[in-house]
Amino acid sequence: MVTVESVRPLAAVLVSAIAVVLIVASYRRPNVREGWSVLAAVSKFAIVASMLPGVLSGTVYEWSLADSLGVEFLAGVDFALRADPLGMLFATLASFLWIFTSFYAAGYMRGLDEHSQTRFFAAFAASLSTAVGIAFAANLVTIFVFYELLSLVTYPLVAHNEDHEARVAGRKYLTYTFFGGGVFLLAGTVMIYWLTSTVGTATTAFEAGGMELLAEAAVAEPGYAQAAFFLLIAGFGVKAAVMPLHSWLADAMVAPTPVSGLLHAVAVVKSGAFGVARVILEVYGPGLIHDLPLSVPGIGEVGLNVPVAIVAAFTLTAASIIAMRKDHLKRRLAFSTTAQLSYIVLGLSMLHPYAVVGALFHIPAHAFAKLTLFFCAGAIHVETHTDYVSEMAGIGKRMPLTMSAFAIGAAGMAGMPLIAGFVSKFYMLLGAGYVGGEYWLFAGTLLLSGVLNIAYLWPVVYTAFFESEDHHDAKPVLEFSRGGVFESYFAEDRVATDGGEAEDAAEATETETEDDYEYAVDEYPSDHTVPEETDTGGERVGTVDHHGDHEDHLTGGPPAGGWERRSPFAESTWLMIAPIAVIATGAVVLGIVPDTAVFLEVATTVVEGVFGVESFGELQGLSLSEALEVIAE
Amino acid sequence: MSSVGSLLDALGGFVDLLPVLLIVTPILMAAAPVALGLRFDRTGWTVAAITAVGLVSGALALAAEVYTRGAVIHNLGGYPRTYGIELVADEFSTAIIVLVATISAGVLAYTRRGGPRGNTFYSAYLLLTGGLLGISLTGDVFNLFVFLEISSLATYALIASGDGPESAVAALKYLILGTIGASIYLTGVAFLFMATGTLNMAELALAIPGAEAQVLVRAAFAFIFVGFALKVAQWPLHTWQPSAYQHAPDGVTPLVAALVSTASAYALGRVMYTVFGPDFLTSTPYLTEIVVTVGTVSILAGSTLAVIQRDVKRMLAFSSVSQFGLIVAAYGLVNETAFVGATIHLVGHGLMKAGLFAAVGLVSVSYGARTVDEYAGLATNRPVAAGATAALLIALVGVPPAVGFVGKWYIGLGAVRAEQWPVAVVIFLSTMLTLAYTARLLEKMYFTPASPLEAAHPSEPVAADGGDGAAPLDRGVPGAVSVGMVALVVVAAVGAIALGFAGGAFFELLDPFVSEVFN
Repeated sequence: MVTVESVRPLAAVLVSAIAVVLIVASYRRPNVREGWSVLAAVSKFAIVASMLPGVLSGTVYEWSLADSLGVEFLAGVDFALRADPLGMLFATLASFLWIFTSFYAAGYMRGLDEHSQTRFFAAFAASLSTAVGIAFAANLVTIFVFYELLSLVTYPLVAHNEDHEARVAGRKYLTYTFFGGGVFLLAGTVMIYWLTSTVGTATTAFEAGGMELLAEAAVAEPGYAQAAFFLLIAGFGVKAAVMPLHSWLADAMVAPTPVSGLLHAVAVVKSGAFGVARVILEVYGPGLIHDLPLSVPGIGEVGLNVPVAIVAAFTLTAASIIAMRKDHLKRRLAFSTTAQLSYIVLGLSMLHPYAVVGALFHIPAHAFAKLTLFFCAGAIHVETHTDYVSEMAGIGKRMPLTMSAFAIGAAGMAGMPLIAGFVSKFYMLLGAGYVGGEYWLFAGTLLLSGVLNIAYLWPVVYTAFFESEDHHDAKPVLEFSRGGVFESYFAEDRVATDGGEAEDAAEATETETEDDYEYAVDEYPSDHTVPEETDTGGERVGTVDHHGDHEDHLTGGPPAGGWERRSPFAESTWLMIAPIAVIATGAVVLGIVPDTAVFLEVATTVVEGVFGVESFGELQGLSLSEALEVIAE
Repeated sequence: MSSVGSLLDALGGFVDLLPVLLIVTPILMAAAPVALGLRFDRTGWTVAAITAVGLVSGALALAAEVYTRGAVIHNLGGYPRTYGIELVADEFSTAIIVLVATISAGVLAYTRRGGPRGNTFYSAYLLLTGGLLGISLTGDVFNLFVFLEISSLATYALIASGDGPESAVAALKYLILGTIGASIYLTGVAFLFMATGTLNMAELALAIPGAEAQVLVRAAFAFIFVGFALKVAQWPLHTWQPSAYQHAPDGVTPLVAALVSTASAYALGRVMYTVFGPDFLTSTPYLTEIVVTVGTVSILAGSTLAVIQRDVKRMLAFSSVSQFGLIVAAYGLVNETAFVGATIHLVGHGLMKAGLFAAVGLVSVSYGARTVDEYAGLATNRPVAAGATAALLIALVGVPPAVGFVGKWYIGLGAVRAEQWPVAVVIFLSTMLTLAYTARLLEKMYFTPASPLEAAHPSEPVAADGGDGAAPLDRGVPGAVSVGMVALVVVAAVGAIALGFAGGAFFELLDPFVSEVFN
């Protein structure tokens, strides 16, 4: 590992920060303004990509405030940026996807003729700046700085609509993210600084395979080391939307779709997952995490990773089930994001090299697929103002290319072969298998969630292509209230609860529970009719899910004469179609030739560094304990 | 460094006089506006500006000397410190001196156009500045009382100069409580004198550990602490402060909010660490626990009360209660890191609050907004003021890189080092508490469109708030804002962010003092 001093990591961070100034300055000329966005995106990617060959061959580019300007950020803490393999994985991904998102965002914002576009594009560029800062941060304090700034600059994007709903979502967003950053992450960072200071020179710098001083300190103070671990994981877990800290994400979907796409599927949430990766791989290290005994009453001693894995497994199952009930497409995708991020956390917390590779590769794999899905949802919104799955029957005629891309993305989510999601899940399953023991449960969760992914995304594709607007199935999962309806399905036989006479009882029920009657099955005698346009309560079409665009629900759904049939090239502007096509293609490329598409190579390089081996082949076929011994050597 | 050194050699004897000049000049000059006022109409600002420039350069020269060569000590009249008065500029006090000199000079940029005007205002202003510099420089506990009284009297006058009866009531309230606080402090000093027979801080530090009547010393500490808790406005002794800040003229609030309580908090730290010393603090039963409890409860109470305020000035006043709670709690932790954190937060908070209160004045003149609701749409209509206010608010929350974060980092680290977990929890949670009231304002400024309904508030009396409330409907008078007023706010915001990178530098500068105190 060769460390080279270079200003390139800083340049990658600053290029979009400078763009913020230029964007604000040219607020009178939208074309120039969007030009800056694109220019910054391209140059950012170019700077990041220029470091890629070096990083893959073992060079690390580093820039530090103390070395370059002689300014010490805090006593004993340097403000340093460092392009190492793990950082490159995230930075490459974010900067590459930003290029297409900046085109898409221009198309989207103009298509809807949104207000405050300058603020939007400025905050967007700032978000990317901080996201790359998180990627390249060389120690916990630096990552904290960018993590907080990311929360701050994404807030204007969430509250963009400036209506009551957006403000409430913004408040929730600030509360959650600052609780994660300013409270948990800061507390954890201070704890790490303090713990290392008890055995040597205090430090918070990342080291591949775990910080040595921390390992020493953890022997003396295991309780505090464990507390710090969970504080850090909770801090990053907020942005990674791990339950029970996930609920900001669904609410943040009031933001314009490019934001939901790039930030709430790639940059922001991935920064949380990326932070978890840093903590597990480069602060504590798999060895220390596995060996720090956490004694659980009744079970005995388990590694620190097990609680994290359990929470992640729960999140990915529960979020998938919740997603099935969401009628608002973006909300459904948000819960899907919650679930998919927990894949990453689960893979990392299994500690096995294969699982870790799978988890790291899932960062780009999910990003490509989910960005496709969000872009599609946004394109549908711009073109037809339709937001609800229940109104999308037959929309495939209107937007064939968009919905085809959606199908690809959905398959990627589910982990179908030939699409990126398959590769990462394959590695994670392999990892879970090699660990064996109780980890079969996690493998089972992974498989189950694949099925659930189909269950909540396939209906969208199905209703778009295989149903038509005037003849489609009822959607029982969406329409019925949670836990079913408290009534007999056989209205004739209805009996009062006190066992009284049936006729009186039926009357009584009719008057007393008039509200419930709307959901009752006898309003929809068959599953195979079109539901009437009544307010059916539950999650469907409810005012609760109304998403900020004042007119969205009023104008959504098919026009009077049904969807018109359009060709794939005329369904929307090229500003939106082209990014969708490119990103969807990317997801397929990653799935077919992962070896040549850089990301897998970077992921294996990271794992090689963490486990201290020359090539990934050396780790082949090792069980978890054998692999951990490799680190110790 | 060597060029600085040779320059200092040339100034050798002059630097030794600086502590005296810094105090005497403003106090003497305080007579000038009134005297000149007999002949000329508006000389106050000019006199104050000339003095302020002198004070800033003096403070900077002193800082250059102190931070390169070590403390500057001056014995007034050449009397030895056992019975004379000593002025001490060391690493701790110099930080406060620079803050006082620069902020009070900066406030002049605001008052030139923003008011209050008149020669008497500038007399009180100079008296206040002199008193504050005296508090920072004195090495004598009784002399400290004298300077506390000088600055307090000037503050009462300044607050009472606001228009309307509320200002008078607020000043009276402050006068009564402030005098009680000072008297309690004086009682403590008397006990100390009884126990040790000296009033000099350095002599006291030597005498206290060996004093026979430890009960007297402990009683002295109790009195001094309560006296300062009142002056610093710690819960539940904060009641004078919100109305004083709210009803003071807009040009006065930045000065009072940024400096008066800061100087008292500095004095508390000085007495706790130089006079009583860490050993006394840790060996006296329940002492640190009580100090820490007062601080943490103030953090919680201050921010909770801030959240429910409608008036922005009042909200920021309660925020001061909570921020000083952080400082007092840090004092109670008794370790080097927390102490450095407290000092940085003193300076940082002073800077941020000066900027924020100046911004409040600016907004009320140019936008006619005083309550949180009236701030709606500020970002669209006054982008510069809104941007600077937002930056300052965010810095106050402790988002890095800004000075608010640096203070919190050291204080939090100090709490963890002391293994005082409840305090650590409150300190880390204080981010959320601060966010609760700052986010309210941010949301109003940026994400709530202005509506004519929100602009008018006819039910409120207009005279109470500085006299500009007459024109809320046409949303203030943008032309009444001078470049200097905007510049003060912007410079404060930029400074708050720039100092965010000075965490290491602060630590190094304070290190000589801190390592002397803690060893």
